[in-house]
Amino acid sequence: MSNDFDPFSLEIIQNSIDAACEEMFTGMRQTAMSTIIYEVLDFGVGITDPEGSLVSQGAGIPIFIGMLEPGVKAIYKKFKAAGRIFPGDIFITNDPWHGGASHLNDVSLLMPVFSGDTLIAWTANKAHWSDIGGMVPGSVAIEATEVYQEGLQFPDIKLFERGEPIESVIDMIRANSRLPDNTLGDMWAGVASLRLGANRLEQLVQTYGQEVFTEALRRYMDYGEVVSRQALAQLPKGTFRTVGDLESLGQVKMLLTITDDHFTIDLRGNRSQVNEPANCPYAVTLCGAKVAFKAITDPGGICNAGVFRPLRLLCDEGSLFAAKRPAPVGLFHEPVMFVTDLVWRSLADVLPEQLTAGHFGSVGALVIGSIHPDTGKPAFLIEPEVGGFGAGLGYDGANAQFSKIDGETFNTPVELNEARNAVFVRQYRFNEEDGGEGEYRGGKGVVLEYEIKGEGAWTTGLFTPNHTTAPWSINGGEPGSSNRVEIIRSDGKREILGKFSNVPLNQGDIIRVVTGAGGGAGDPLRRDRSILESDIRNGYVSERQARQYYGFSDNQ
Amino acid sequence: MKRVATDVGGTFTDLVHFDPEAAPGSSIVCAKVDSTPPGFEHGVMNALAKTQIRGEDMDFFVHGSTIIINTLTERKGVKTALITTRGFRDVLEIARGNRPDLFNFRYRKPEPLVPRYLRREVTERIDYKGNVLTPLKTGELRPLVDELRVEGVDAIAVCFLHAYRNPDHELAAVREIQRLWPEVAVIASHVLSREWREYERTNTTAAAASVQPVAYGYLSGLEASLADRGFSKSAYVMLSNGGIDTFAAVRNKGITMVESGPAAGVFGAATLGRLTGTQNLITLDIGGTTAKCSLIENGRVRLTNKYVLERTPRYAGYPLLVPVVDIVEIGNGGGSIAWLDDAGKLRVGPRSAGADPGPAAYGRGGKDFTTTDAHLLTGRIDPGHFLGGEIKVDLDAMNEAAGRLCKVMNVSREELARGVIRIANNNMVNALKLVSLNRGYDPRDFSLVVFGGGGGLHGTDLARTLQIPEVIVPVNASVFSCWGMMQTDLRRDRIVSVPLVLAVTNASEVDTTFRKLEMQLRAELESDRVDTAGLGFQRMLDMRYEGQEHTVKVDVPDRLINAEVVEQIQEKFRDDYEREYSYRLSSQIEVVNFHVAAVVPVEQVMPAKPGKTGRGVKDCIRSERQVDFGPLDVHRCAIYERALLEPGMLIEAPAIIDEPDTTIVVDSGRARVDDFGNIRIEV
Repeated sequence: MSNDFDPFSLEIIQNSIDAACEEMFTGMRQTAMSTIIYEVLDFGVGITDPEGSLVSQGAGIPIFIGMLEPGVKAIYKKFKAAGRIFPGDIFITNDPWHGGASHLNDVSLLMPVFSGDTLIAWTANKAHWSDIGGMVPGSVAIEATEVYQEGLQFPDIKLFERGEPIESVIDMIRANSRLPDNTLGDMWAGVASLRLGANRLEQLVQTYGQEVFTEALRRYMDYGEVVSRQALAQLPKGTFRTVGDLESLGQVKMLLTITDDHFTIDLRGNRSQVNEPANCPYAVTLCGAKVAFKAITDPGGICNAGVFRPLRLLCDEGSLFAAKRPAPVGLFHEPVMFVTDLVWRSLADVLPEQLTAGHFGSVGALVIGSIHPDTGKPAFLIEPEVGGFGAGLGYDGANAQFSKIDGETFNTPVELNEARNAVFVRQYRFNEEDGGEGEYRGGKGVVLEYEIKGEGAWTTGLFTPNHTTAPWSINGGEPGSSNRVEIIRSDGKREILGKFSNVPLNQGDIIRVVTGAGGGAGDPLRRDRSILESDIRNGYVSERQARQYYGFSDNQ
Repeated sequence: MKRVATDVGGTFTDLVHFDPEAAPGSSIVCAKVDSTPPGFEHGVMNALAKTQIRGEDMDFFVHGSTIIINTLTERKGVKTALITTRGFRDVLEIARGNRPDLFNFRYRKPEPLVPRYLRREVTERIDYKGNVLTPLKTGELRPLVDELRVEGVDAIAVCFLHAYRNPDHELAAVREIQRLWPEVAVIASHVLSREWREYERTNTTAAAASVQPVAYGYLSGLEASLADRGFSKSAYVMLSNGGIDTFAAVRNKGITMVESGPAAGVFGAATLGRLTGTQNLITLDIGGTTAKCSLIENGRVRLTNKYVLERTPRYAGYPLLVPVVDIVEIGNGGGSIAWLDDAGKLRVGPRSAGADPGPAAYGRGGKDFTTTDAHLLTGRIDPGHFLGGEIKVDLDAMNEAAGRLCKVMNVSREELARGVIRIANNNMVNALKLVSLNRGYDPRDFSLVVFGGGGGLHGTDLARTLQIPEVIVPVNASVFSCWGMMQTDLRRDRIVSVPLVLAVTNASEVDTTFRKLEMQLRAELESDRVDTAGLGFQRMLDMRYEGQEHTVKVDVPDRLINAEVVEQIQEKFRDDYEREYSYRLSSQIEVVNFHVAAVVPVEQVMPAKPGKTGRGVKDCIRSERQVDFGPLDVHRCAIYERALLEPGMLIEAPAIIDEPDTTIVVDSGRARVDDFGNIRIEV
């Protein structure tokens, strides 16, 4: 054999680590208490080596890739030197600057795994806790100007020591959350998933020995690097400049440089951090960069620390993309997705067969609160919304799908929302407005209407890009359409919004969510006529749109 | 009672005939013939002809078929339309909006089963409590039905919001459609599922409608052929819920047989357990491209109502809300290909060489090294007796396939073969963990029942890894599914979403709800003229802690539910939950679904025990050869002919037991032939 290690054992350990991650993921999903975890799957699990480099991960949403790493690294640094990491410990952190979180709601739980006295790995998970205090219910406040207003901070501390919960920490969580039962339920779900993973790893070490186990981890990451480098070799080399419009935050410019060895994203020279919760600490921006890198290089393959070795990210300290404490960070996700999209856009026109035009570009976060008329208890609708994806050559964009930084995310069934969340759903259908016409069509957004049934209702939402910008097109297609939320009052008055917080609502008011179409690819005049006829028959393209954009006439 | 079970697959049609009055040793007759697509009933008739079974030789006929799943996966269902609540025709295409292939921004969602132009809306609305908000405008149906007729539609699915709670509008719409157009097949969602989640229910209804005429034609054709043969008794179909039901009932609900084949296998194992007194079983069926496993606790097979057709880790698939035996399936079977990815990582499966070209050793042009090739190379499978001698092993092709991998990996052929088997085993161990450890079951409390062509080759190795004490290789493993069907009870499941808090104060509501469901099921069975003698009910509740979404299915006693029983149920839930997820909470408990299974037991078959000739175990040895047992090293060992083995015989490891279509590896412990001819290996 080529070396001292049996290659088959190494493969088996690697496969088993992936399987353990999957088990952790499933366990967490099935036991969580909050819709945002079990339906939206706003959580991730992972296994790292002793120093915190990611070996394998399971995530419901792409943006969590690699977010666990800095958390483990911070804990390792803080506790290792002091000799205070013990079997049975579980650590907790939600520090966006170095603790592996994006905003304070994203709480990481981390568990060291031992073989005898030797630390051999960590199991980690991170989940969006529904409420951790702060100035508004749900903790994410559009009005926040400092991180202190965004909830309870866990500064890399212990939650369990040697298997025993530290009650004082748990009491603090209970006291600070508006939804203590859900929050602690989610915490227990996380703990169970960490222990499950740790147990599987311990069995592996018992079977194969520590040395082989450690080698398998190391080589798995090396393998990740090989995969990325092979993909890098296929990409066009050079420097690509792109500028995008982040609406009220202004223009963002990016330089992407691809060489044989590196994929460098340069966000220097952009605006400084802001007095609203749109800031991204460097570690968070890096996650957006990783999503783009992975999607461009090897979308179907594994994700571990090795995969991202060729990736470089350059930002100015104190800028929007490397914000410093105590900048508020609650709504980090829209600028981060913007970064992902900007990288994608840099290459889309160069690789139209592989990449695509822009998508609706928003998580579409919507919150509706009220008192449920049946129970008299508070009802919370918290959900992201689906929209249209961009077309590429040979590919019509997907209709009604969650954004790029979401993934295995599920919409809330109408029947559940009506029963639980004190709303009446008037319609849920495709948005048939103009946008995304092309030889290949951009995907459709949706129209979703909620009529308010509960008393004391209010709504908060974030839909960027809203009516000022639309998803870009490629190769001569038409741009997509933008997102908006309309509030239609019982007296017929209509407000059109993109970003709104705590807007009071009355029973009978209607919230109408309209999400945009993705951008089109190629000249619409070149769309295959038989496909166009099918589009018309199915109402994806109206006859007016067919004439106006596709040069269709009835006597064709 | 003379019984016949037939199982139609894409390639073969299996038949088992059981005649308790026949002479010992000939009470069970088996046959295997080629399937005859698209007229599958001819294959069934051929099998009956081959075994010379006449209509009067059968008191009971049960049938399983892959026709429904094939119709769905090959998209050969009929042209189907959907009628739904105004404002919601796109629900079927919006689906859940998820993208399991996280980084693929060119992801293709599952194509909706009904195209948009055939999805029509009518005015009606019922709320989540079942109250009518807007009455159904029946008059809207006429122009709509006329249009669908012009479009050449053959089936109509009807699904309205909250019909799980109040089906009145669906019933009225179906009545009107049938009045306007009696020839069209029409099915409403509440007939199939009484669970909430409109996308899942709509998709289920669309799928059911698209296979409806297919199921109807198929079962009617088969019934007619049976009648021609003189059969006049009851004919039944094997369903995915692990029960059987009458032809008449299934004809109108064909979707319920979607996983009939695998369900029969698992129930075969349960039957075997009942017969041999082994109530805790993990089943493993290793075929050509996949391995399927399931768990049976105390004789009870686990069902799931979260079945998704065609789902993979990267593809959302099509949810079908019909109760299906809970099976974990992975892409590892005899034909699984060992391959190196671009970055040099060795993988086994899910790519498969299938039956054609098959493993390299078949010599039919297969260039890839498969798990079967690895078994041949290690000597576990006898190259001189491959597939009962029907195929001559192409050693050159096999060595060439192995050689390509060996060169890149710098290992010997023997190392490669061992390694491929280890990786395949590890993949299967991970799947077995999902049905056992991951759900809180300790494999040490179970026996592993293996079947399918590859079961006996991997069973002992897997059992050792998981510390399962015993492997059972059933007699007649290749017609195992038929064997299972023959002894499956008639079963109908009804699952209804009635969300409520499980509290002592709700005891009578829980009791009434169960009784109501049971009355409905009984009335339905009686109106279908099923003999309800012996009818019993299994009650289950899908429960969760308040605030959770995913539920745990808990068995509930079939007696008056009072405060005390509610407390027992609460405790049982907390226990089951803790077993599966390792912690318990004091939170309130919610019921989401009531689940009742009506079961009419079928008389159990006690096969005659094979006789003994007094033959010695040494007389069953066909030959000896060198076999590589992987981690247990290389041994020269005896090869036994299974057909010659008799009850009570003991075989010490290492040994190989050969059957025409499968091989059993006894690499540790010892094998014993039990009274029925099953081989039981203590590992």
